[in-house]
Amino acid sequence: MSPAPPNPRARRLRAPLLLAVWTLFGVAATGGLVIFFARLAAGTTPGIEIHVVSGLALLAAWAAYQWAHWLRIAPWRPRLDYTLGLVAAISMGLALLTGLPLALEWWQAREAGRPAHYVSWLSGAHNVMSMLVLTFVAAHLFTVLERDARRRAENGKGAAKQ
Amino acid sequence: MSIPAFSLFSAISELLVTAGVLFVVRRNWTRRHFPFAIFLSVALFEGLVNVMYMAGRASEASAAHAASAALPVGMKIGFAAHGLLSLFAYLVFVVLGTLAHQAQEQGRWFFRERPALTWSFLVVWMVSIVSGEVIFALRYLV
Repeated sequence: MSPAPPNPRARRLRAPLLLAVWTLFGVAATGGLVIFFARLAAGTTPGIEIHVVSGLALLAAWAAYQWAHWLRIAPWRPRLDYTLGLVAAISMGLALLTGLPLALEWWQAREAGRPAHYVSWLSGAHNVMSMLVLTFVAAHLFTVLERDARRRAENGKGAAKQ
Repeated sequence: MSIPAFSLFSAISELLVTAGVLFVVRRNWTRRHFPFAIFLSVALFEGLVNVMYMAGRASEASAAHAASAALPVGMKIGFAAHGLLSLFAYLVFVVLGTLAHQAQEQGRWFFRERPALTWSFLVVWMVSIVSGEVIFALRYLV
């Protein structure tokens, strides 16, 4: 008896590009939360080098993933998972783009040996978009996985009836 | 000390947002139609206005503003902890709300069927809101 074909979603969730996006996203998000807390509590930015490098790598990996993802799921459908995914994608794009000038200022200050002066509204926008990314990526993922689980359960019931 | 208008607006609107969150959960708990429009309004308002306010304050506090430089360390740690807790509570609200909306379409009552999760979420949400109001009171009213 041949083994059951792998679930397409499970195969996609293990794709190297998506695993790279998840890893970089995890590193960048964890670093961002640490910096958010430390800047407020102590005025320091620990591990900002890792945050910047992982953010830049995430920009490239996410852009490639998002393009391929859209080509697979297009056209747009008026559904909750699409809406959540769109909000997550816009937030991710804005979080990464607002991070670029902040990273540039960090680099220039580092080279000049002076403290970095981040534009307040840009830093605020980067923080807000990053928080929205965390929220809506989680909501998008949970919505899709819950729908898959429901379909599997319905298929299981259907098979049991036959 | 004069209270900045945005701080006052945020402190009051947080209470209205909390009323919205409790309304959404209670409707589902009492097996009534999930108020998706209210859920979406509350989620977007909280995300775009109050999280923006918090992030803006965080940027100011960390940019060595004269007012924030004079803050005691305990208050700064309180700000930071409140910020992270608020983010976590907001994230959980959006995720649970979307799952509740999906479950409703299948005729199930997400919050009612998961009392431990629901009560845990409500406790975290209330701690997040109360800590924000306490910080506001300590900063501007005491």
